[in-house]
Amino acid sequence: MILVLNLAKTFGSFRAVDGVSLDVAPGEIHGFLGPNGAGKTTTIRMIAGLLKPTAGRVSIDGHDLAREPEAAKRALGFIPDRPYLYEKLTAAEFLRFHGGLYGMEGEAAEARAGELLELFELVGWKDELVESFSHGMKQRLVMCAAFLHRPRAVLVDEPMVGLDPRGARLIKEIFRVMSRRGVAILMSTHTLEVAEEMCDRISIILGGRIIARGTVPELHALAGTDDPQLTPVFLKLTGGGAYQEIEL
Amino acid sequence: MRQAFPWLLLPLVWSARNRARRRERGDGLRAALFGGLGLGAAAAIFAIVFWLSWQLLDYEELGDYLVRLGLGWLFLTFLSFVAFSALVSALSTFFLSEDLRLLLAAPVPPERLFHSRFARTVGQSAWMVVAFLLPVLLALGLARCAPPGYYFVAVATVVPFVVIPSAMGAVITLGLVSVFPARRARDLLMLMGLLFAVAIVLLLRFIRPERLLDVQSLPDVTAFFATLQSPVTPFLPSFWAGESLFGALRGQVDLLHLGALWTTALALTVLVRAAYGRHYFAAWSKAQEARKARFTRLTLLEPLVRRMPFSPARRALLVKDVKVFLRDTTQWSQLLLLLALALVYVYNFRVLDLDRIPYMSRVIKNAYAFVNLGMAAFVTAAVAVRFVFPAVSSEGPAFWVVRTAPVRMSSFLWSKLWTGLLPIFVLAELITVTSNHLLGVPLVLKLLGASAIAFMTLALVGLACGMGAQHPRFGAENVTQVAGSYGGVAFMVLAVLYILATVALLAWPASQYLWHEFRSLPIAPHRQAWMALSLAVALSLSLATFWLSMRTGIRALEDLG
Repeated sequence: MILVLNLAKTFGSFRAVDGVSLDVAPGEIHGFLGPNGAGKTTTIRMIAGLLKPTAGRVSIDGHDLAREPEAAKRALGFIPDRPYLYEKLTAAEFLRFHGGLYGMEGEAAEARAGELLELFELVGWKDELVESFSHGMKQRLVMCAAFLHRPRAVLVDEPMVGLDPRGARLIKEIFRVMSRRGVAILMSTHTLEVAEEMCDRISIILGGRIIARGTVPELHALAGTDDPQLTPVFLKLTGGGAYQEIEL
Repeated sequence: MRQAFPWLLLPLVWSARNRARRRERGDGLRAALFGGLGLGAAAAIFAIVFWLSWQLLDYEELGDYLVRLGLGWLFLTFLSFVAFSALVSALSTFFLSEDLRLLLAAPVPPERLFHSRFARTVGQSAWMVVAFLLPVLLALGLARCAPPGYYFVAVATVVPFVVIPSAMGAVITLGLVSVFPARRARDLLMLMGLLFAVAIVLLLRFIRPERLLDVQSLPDVTAFFATLQSPVTPFLPSFWAGESLFGALRGQVDLLHLGALWTTALALTVLVRAAYGRHYFAAWSKAQEARKARFTRLTLLEPLVRRMPFSPARRALLVKDVKVFLRDTTQWSQLLLLLALALVYVYNFRVLDLDRIPYMSRVIKNAYAFVNLGMAAFVTAAVAVRFVFPAVSSEGPAFWVVRTAPVRMSSFLWSKLWTGLLPIFVLAELITVTSNHLLGVPLVLKLLGASAIAFMTLALVGLACGMGAQHPRFGAENVTQVAGSYGGVAFMVLAVLYILATVALLAWPASQYLWHEFRSLPIAPHRQAWMALSLAVALSLSLATFWLSMRTGIRALEDLG
């Protein structure tokens, strides 16, 4: 459903992403992990159509992002790490606007928006300006928008940032339901517990290259650790195992 | 924290230093253009004031009276300007700055925070006044051969003078924020400021100062000065500043008024510090409250747009753009200023008395029709740089919503174009047709003017839209910053060149036609061909400007990132 082949991005002389390939099947939740500055967000932004790749190609639901950008984007829902929205629109107006961009209008679109606002507990705020929303509320509104057009693939950059435990549990549940319905989810995260709990497969990126890929047991085997947690595996694979004693 | 309060101003200095070191594209052009404009304006102010002061030396007592009156008025105007400016600056420096959270969480003594923020408020609200006063006071001193002490007194006068209205502005802001949420207070202030500017523009124009140049209206001049004298009262700091400087011009040190300025400035600073010490934290906490804002629902807009024969995406973009514009006080309020300028523009033609020179009247009117066309096009360009050029940038960091949606960048930019084109087209036609009518130009020029401004509006709005897409500033805090950016300046330069070329291409065939008609002479066929070619080139230039700008704008958006 989400196919990424030899994707590369260069900023001046700096190669931020260097030949990344990914394949997320329908119904799969694919974790995308890596330390800060590894190239996660750059890759995600290229898949979302926000950055032009230097090389490689991206295909969503069989549509090449460079050649058929509208068809590819129509199949994709995107949740960025920072929920920047139009501050002078109300939540309901924002969803109406978002629906319009995806060709959705009329009662069906209104009903779908109402359903999502209800699901994300924003009904009481639907007629208030976004500028008066907290970070978490904006994040939930972005999620409403991402799911509004019933995407076949979802791209999530740091889904849990700004969400309270209740919101985090809700979003995990929603991802599971969507995955059961055949939606492919590519999720970049720093929260290893979330990745461990939810992802069918995980890709680890370091220095712009994928250095490991597989299920959680496969990654344990690759790292050669007996620790049941994912954190030591991640630290070993990304070379961050050694740490200094911090004096506090 | 032991360091004195200027320590808290260091981030500001360091940021400015880093910005100066990091050169961006267009910095040189911008610096040269704005620096040249600034120096030119300062030189012009210096020359005018020097010439006036020099002339007034011949009138002894009347000259002295006029210099005193002038200084009184100058400082009175600046008093209100700095006070108002300080209201807005204090709102930003004391309540809305992002770094306040960091500083309030740090062990910074409140009085140090107050002093650093107050210094920023004074600096932000007074720099323009000081920059204006510099050539004025220098020219005055040189023209009247003032002793060196005058320049020291000038500094000693201006410093407390700008502190007084800044302190008053800061304390009013504290009161306002205690009553209204900070962002609401900012909107209110912006609106009040704009209405004030509109009132000043209209007032200055409608008192028709050009009458002073008319000898027949000499009795009016006496009344004019009597009116001018009335608001200059000895109880205001503007009067003290004027008197202090006037004394220094004559080699005297007016300790009474200088003392009044310093004691008032110091007393007000102490009082404002006490008020902030007592109420600041409560007001700041209140400013942080996220309240449900009041806003215009615009319920009729969506049913109206739904009737339009556009795609759902185009309709969604249109509704969003109109709502965002009309709910943002900083944006829609600019329309008031625009309306005032349009009124003044048309009024200028109403009071224009070209019949004073009867034998030249016809020629001058025809020439004026083209001056009018050029000026109307220039107004259109100025409106476009303010409202259309920032259209893409105004998407801000939320642009990802459109970019990740299945919407072509061409649809997006065309939507921006039509949203801006329609109202600007109406405005441009309105001012051109009305002013040509008031001028009483021949029908052929009226028709030519109306058609030409239509094409010129299309070209200028297209140029603004396309260049706005090529030079977006998604991180800009407001649209004024976008309009003043490298791209905005480059747009204005290109727009002026386009206007000059088009007016020249239209004026030549039109003048040929009118000249032959006036002399009742037939136009030779080869001349007719040249005239047609000139008109065709003007038309092609407009269409090419429009089309190429939009095309490059769309490409730039597609290649973004």
